[in-house]
Amino acid sequence: MLKLVNLSKVYRTEEVETTALNGVNIHVRDGEFVAVMGPSGCGKSSLLNIVGMLDTPSSGEYWFDGEEVSKYSERKLADIRKRNIGFIFQSFNLIDELTVFENVELALLYHDIPARDRKERVKAALDKVKISHREGHLPQQLSGGQQQRVAIARAVVSRPKMLLADEPTGNLDSANGDEVMHMLTELNGEGTTIVMVTHSMPHAQYARRIINLFDGQVVAENLRAA
Amino acid sequence: MFRNYVTVAVRNLVKHRLYSAINLIGLAVGLAACILILLFVRNETTYDRFFTDAERIHQVVIRAQLPGRSPDVVASTMVPLGDAMKDAFPEVELRSSMIQQGVTVRGGDRLFSETVFAADPEFLDIFDLAFVEGDRATALRDRSGLVIREEIARKYFGDEPALGRTLTIDGQHDVRITGVMKDLPANTHLRFDILMPIDGPAVRNIEALRTQWGNISATTYVKLRPGVDLAEFNRRFADWSKTAMPEMRSPNGVIRLSDIFTPRLRPLLSINTDPLNTQMRPGTSMREIYTFSAVAVMVLAIASINFMNLATARATQRAREVSVRKVVGASRGQIVSQFVGESVLLTLIGLLLAMALVELLLPAYSAFLGKELAFDYGDPGLVGMLLGLTLIVGVAGGTYPAFFLSAFNPAAVLKGASSGVGGGSGRLRMALVIVQFAISIALMVATAVVYGQFLYAQNKDLGFDKENVVVLEGLSTRAMREKARPLAEQIAKDGRVAAVSATGITPGTFDESNTNVRMPGRDSSELLVIRSEVVDFGFFETMGMNLVAGRDFDRDRGTDIANRPEWLRPGGQRPPGTPENFEIPASVILNESAVKRLGFSSNEAALGQSYNASAGQGVSFKFTVIGVVQDFHFRSVRDPIAPAHFFVDPTQFDAVAVRIKPGDIEGALGAIDAAWRDFFPDTPTQRVFLDDRIEQLYAQERQAATMFAAFSGLAIVIACLGLFGLASFTAERRTKEIGLRKVLGAGVSDIVRLLVWQFSKPVLLANLIAWPVAWYGMSRWLESFTYRIDLNPLLFVGAGMTALAIAWITVGLHAAKVAQAKPIRALRYE
Repeated sequence: MLKLVNLSKVYRTEEVETTALNGVNIHVRDGEFVAVMGPSGCGKSSLLNIVGMLDTPSSGEYWFDGEEVSKYSERKLADIRKRNIGFIFQSFNLIDELTVFENVELALLYHDIPARDRKERVKAALDKVKISHREGHLPQQLSGGQQQRVAIARAVVSRPKMLLADEPTGNLDSANGDEVMHMLTELNGEGTTIVMVTHSMPHAQYARRIINLFDGQVVAENLRAA
Repeated sequence: MFRNYVTVAVRNLVKHRLYSAINLIGLAVGLAACILILLFVRNETTYDRFFTDAERIHQVVIRAQLPGRSPDVVASTMVPLGDAMKDAFPEVELRSSMIQQGVTVRGGDRLFSETVFAADPEFLDIFDLAFVEGDRATALRDRSGLVIREEIARKYFGDEPALGRTLTIDGQHDVRITGVMKDLPANTHLRFDILMPIDGPAVRNIEALRTQWGNISATTYVKLRPGVDLAEFNRRFADWSKTAMPEMRSPNGVIRLSDIFTPRLRPLLSINTDPLNTQMRPGTSMREIYTFSAVAVMVLAIASINFMNLATARATQRAREVSVRKVVGASRGQIVSQFVGESVLLTLIGLLLAMALVELLLPAYSAFLGKELAFDYGDPGLVGMLLGLTLIVGVAGGTYPAFFLSAFNPAAVLKGASSGVGGGSGRLRMALVIVQFAISIALMVATAVVYGQFLYAQNKDLGFDKENVVVLEGLSTRAMREKARPLAEQIAKDGRVAAVSATGITPGTFDESNTNVRMPGRDSSELLVIRSEVVDFGFFETMGMNLVAGRDFDRDRGTDIANRPEWLRPGGQRPPGTPENFEIPASVILNESAVKRLGFSSNEAALGQSYNASAGQGVSFKFTVIGVVQDFHFRSVRDPIAPAHFFVDPTQFDAVAVRIKPGDIEGALGAIDAAWRDFFPDTPTQRVFLDDRIEQLYAQERQAATMFAAFSGLAIVIACLGLFGLASFTAERRTKEIGLRKVLGAGVSDIVRLLVWQFSKPVLLANLIAWPVAWYGMSRWLESFTYRIDLNPLLFVGAGMTALAIAWITVGLHAAKVAQAKPIRALRYE
């Protein structure tokens, strides 16, 4: 699915140069569930942003689905992203003005999908995360766990090949966190590749493989038995 | 997709009510102001369009360059010009001259004074006015016919048909109604009630007028054949007039009229936007139209800036939405079009509100302007302009925020709740606020100058006391004129009357006579032309005018009257055997300008000096200067004071001026009317208060100044609205900072000062832009006035201070509220 070769990311301001990623090599196969761990400032978010094509690397190669995308334009990246990648965030990032249904539907609006199909797919996604009964509510009317389930529905409704989850359980209590992890595992079981950044060791255990980052470098990769 | 945009847009509007309200109110008020000005401009620029072949109809105007006077262009011509030009130019298809006369009209038992226009029959071929009764083609071709407006028909005949009925003019000429016109529409420069054929029996003095090339009292219209190039025609017309206008010979020298008068044609369609003295209706100059259009643009610019500023300021709140959209695949173009669309939508809502506002205000606005403005939704031009306006404002206001918002880096935004975005470039926002306030301050200065000049003009010492003076007019026939002095003497007997004088001139009217003067022993090749006006004993006293040298006319000195022999009166013939150099001796009083014009070294030096001036039929007056009257304004203070002399000629009075003692005005008016009835039982009194007449001269300026002030005020209000929104936004954004400062010991006043200072800077900077611009613009504007105020620097400082004070109040109220909040609440927000 994706391969990072000697990938580096350096942030420059006028006076300071910060190296966020330093010669990272990572290979994620189709259908894998990978957790990325490490202390604050180790480069997890930079890694996820580059993998999610929200940012571009300073050097190195990024192979996605057989294409080297590290030099692609923003427009081209946006196009690949929209067809292949779904995002889940720590802070859910639902749009306050839209209902649950509309928030999920948003992910299909930028694809050419007829309204009728859109409706069906949104309903199916909401069913999957068991939040259909709240489809007319606004995000503020939901609990954190429910909001994250909506966010998951939004991430998967466009049927991406890969899900990127940035501390998906960081804002949730343990019960809700576990539920979210169960859903991710389920999705992984159905064939979706998942890359998840997390601080939580127990939740990292749901992944097939754990990559440890420290100071912008991969320091350990632990393959777990399924 | 579109529905999704609309949903988000509308929910955002509802959620952020304050911002929405500020935006919408600002936009609605700005658009409403714009529409009101647009309606005015459209109305003013579409006068007379409805006439068939309007673009081929022209009016003859004359540029008069009297020696020693500044040139003046008037909408009047000489009666013989129309016929002569038709003979000379085959391009002239139709022509009509018209003259104006005051008459009395009797219909049955109803008797009124009326102003009648006598016109060539072709007038109704040129102007296809709508008729209710009668035939337009023939109505003026009956010499004893008369055409009246519907309203006049009702006045004399009630609801009965008027066609064929008889009216009696001046108590002696019976005429028959040959046509009833519809009342004239509001958007024509024409204004008259009654038309009669120029060769009709009731027209006075027409045979003489037909030969008088020096008498500029007619209005002439021509219709050109299709395809005539106006500029080229006017060149030939001017050349032709050099030879067509005769020389006037008098014992005092030869006047070549062609040296003084240059005629040209001006298109009918430009009459209303090129106002000239003596046209039937005062128009609106292009300068005014441009000025108001500019104000409209500025008001709208201020509203658009509000919109831009608040939209970018609020960007933080939309950052997450934009980022999510990007993450799920929206391209930048899609985001931009979403936000531009949102802005256009908001502007459309603003437009609807504005239209409601306009409907609400239009009646009062129309009444104020004295126009019939209509908001016609069926007018494609207007609707097109409105939609265009909406699109321009929406796109202009929405584009910057749209590009700004669409440039967010989603990774940063989505990571934290509000990190990553600073709420837009604060510097640009401040720059825009500076622009807004620069416009506001400049408009404030402009308003103050316009108003100051207006007040100055109104309160300027006119050289006479306009209060408590009543002018009796309508002495239109020779018989009536000869009774002017006896009437004045009769009125003088009443104890409530302070002073009375018959006169041939009253301030505030446009009529003037001029004469050429020959100074003994001076080179006669220089043409000396001055105004020559007739007054009676006591005129200067009655008007409250000051003699600055010499003495007033004295009824006990026989030489103070110019004794015109009977044959020198209208219609008389010089008897054979009159000596070649027949002179009429008379005393004369000069105004100060004439003292200068005639070359006397001082007022005193003029006293006792003699000169000659024409009296007609080759006869001269031999005038001896007995006094000098202080310059007074004949018309508006806009017009320079003409050099003039005054003498007593009892055959030439056409009005009586009466100064009433304050106290029993009503009683005095009753006595005046009674005296009038004794003298002229068949003519209704026509009296007017002098101050009203003077006021009339400034009516339009007052209107323009008021309108200017109102719209400038609006601009300032909208700018403040924006500042208020921005202040509340900033306060909100700085909640944490304010909380921290309070924790560290800052008091409410410290916080208020902090915020107020932040917004004082742009206002202060705005002054630096506004002052020079306003100074330049207003100096140019004032240059068009002969008598004008100086630009007072205090005015500029005052406008700046006012803007600052308004900004302080706007921001301070808000800041105080924010500063009083408990700091812990502020800190918890983050």
